[in-house]
Amino acid sequence: MTMYQLRRWLPIVGGGVLLLIAAIAATSTVYTVQPEERAVIKRFGAVIGTTDPGLHFKLPFGIDSVQHVATERVLKEEFGFRTATAGEPSRYDARDFPDEALMLSGDLNIIDVEWVVQYRIGDPIKFLYNMREPTRTLRDLSESVMRRVVGNHLGSEILTTARVKIANTTREEIQAAMELYQTGIHIVTVELQNVVPPKAVQPAFNQVNEARQERERMINEATRQANEVIPRAKGEANRIIAEAQGYAAERANQALGEAARFRAILAEYQAAPEVTRRRMYLEALSTLLPEVGSVLVIQEGQNSPMPLLHLREGRVPTEVVR
Amino acid sequence: MKRMIPILVILGILGGLFVLGGGLFVIDQAEQGIIVQFGEPVGEVITQPGLHWKRPFIQEVRRFDKRLLAWDGDVSQIPTLGREFIVVDTTARWRIVDPLQFLRSVRDELGARTRLDDILDSVVRDIVSGADLEEIVRSHDWEVDPNKVDEVIVREDVALQKPKMGRERLEQSMRSAASRLMPGLGIEIVDVRIKRINYIESVRRQVESRMVAERQSIAAKFRSEGEGRSQEILGQMERQLREIRSEAARQAEEIRGKADAEATRTYGAAYGADPEFFAFFRTLESYKAMGKNTTLMIDADSEFFRYLKTTQQP
Repeated sequence: MTMYQLRRWLPIVGGGVLLLIAAIAATSTVYTVQPEERAVIKRFGAVIGTTDPGLHFKLPFGIDSVQHVATERVLKEEFGFRTATAGEPSRYDARDFPDEALMLSGDLNIIDVEWVVQYRIGDPIKFLYNMREPTRTLRDLSESVMRRVVGNHLGSEILTTARVKIANTTREEIQAAMELYQTGIHIVTVELQNVVPPKAVQPAFNQVNEARQERERMINEATRQANEVIPRAKGEANRIIAEAQGYAAERANQALGEAARFRAILAEYQAAPEVTRRRMYLEALSTLLPEVGSVLVIQEGQNSPMPLLHLREGRVPTEVVR
Repeated sequence: MKRMIPILVILGILGGLFVLGGGLFVIDQAEQGIIVQFGEPVGEVITQPGLHWKRPFIQEVRRFDKRLLAWDGDVSQIPTLGREFIVVDTTARWRIVDPLQFLRSVRDELGARTRLDDILDSVVRDIVSGADLEEIVRSHDWEVDPNKVDEVIVREDVALQKPKMGRERLEQSMRSAASRLMPGLGIEIVDVRIKRINYIESVRRQVESRMVAERQSIAAKFRSEGEGRSQEILGQMERQLREIRSEAARQAEEIRGKADAEATRTYGAAYGADPEFFAFFRTLESYKAMGKNTTLMIDADSEFFRYLKTTQQP
């Protein structure tokens, strides 16, 4: 290569190199921040600020560098289970994660707790530069806090009434730890999923539920029987009383009627006692005699009575009548 | 010679860039650095991120993370004070606070982790084996009142007393014990936490079978409670029945009695006007009531038969 040739080619090569450098500079000065992100800009490794979504410029050649952090997205960590594919419906990993999920309650029973921590990256600078592995720390702390809270309750409470309280306390404590370490993570919710006794104990827990049902059933049955019998007995009682009242009315009326009749007759009788007396006597006998089965007439001084009339049977001889 | 000038200029620029590249260095936001000359630290620790200068070729930069770092312990089996074997998994957060000391004592993070493993594992082991399981599981804000708990639902062999230390204080004492054991490492242990704690496999099976037995006794209790309540309700029902029936009978008798008394009074008032006539009248009434099966005996001399003998006036 002669000097002449070099002199001829140098501008071309130099121009090409400059063009290439310009092109690289042009592409590395522009960057886009997606709507759900914030970008952290560093100049020579030192953070100089964050930028909002949109198109932005920076200095090229590695002077400025950009890190994108999804601040608006709600992220989640799952404990004791894993979602295999999210969707409608979501499918879950068939594996269990007993190391994560099994823990001790305050009464030293074993309990299987699955939960989800939802969080957002609130401060991208803190998230990137205060802690090396913030999500791993989040996981470690979540497990630690959940075990502390569960260990502070009785097993029976955890399975029934204390769920909401546990979730809230856990959220607050994880949040407090996140603030203590300045991880820039904001905990949105802690949600308890399956909270169950360990697998080997579950049938026994079901038995308890069945027994509880059985108890309710027996009580209901007895109550039903009582409800059936008592109103009927009350009705019967009212009937007995009503009957007695009926009897009372009847008895009073009867007495009043008979008394009135007696008074009426007595008034007549007093007008003519002898005649009335005799008339009444004879009338009584004449109504009586046709009805009576047999009549015996007794003669004084005679021992056995003798039949007078057998009104129903004509066989009786009339001679006996004297 | 004149032709050599551009070449010299280019060489000069390249040489300058080479020196600059050897002398300039970047400390990231997440880092701190120490300049080392022939293996010996020189100058202050660089904590300010950005562009910095060192002497090219003879000095080099050691970088250390400035952020909080995580340490995860080995899962270890430890017996508690109550001789229960448990599996404990601890986690800790630490940071390099004095890079110079750190560099001198452990050189790098790997060295630091080895030391942390040794110290934290032994501290955790000491403290866990010196505490009861309840102390490790429960915390200082334990609120369960042993007097108010239904006895059936908790283990009989577990007292429900508030822990003397509690989980957090054990964790704190782990932290302070570990910190005492590692002066001069340039490390600060920010916290030590018990991440997981569980029974070892064989103990777990025992606990599970005891939980099963416990549940079965609760189930039996529910059943007998149902039986008892049912009997109680039926007994109440029987009592009510008897009350209702006897009350009704009493009222009925009272009403009847009053009615009878009333009737008696009415009769008495009427018949008292002429007792002799009443006797006569009433007797005749009862004669009329005689029926077919009656056999009537009458004296032949009676009034009735008088006119059968004679029509004469007496």
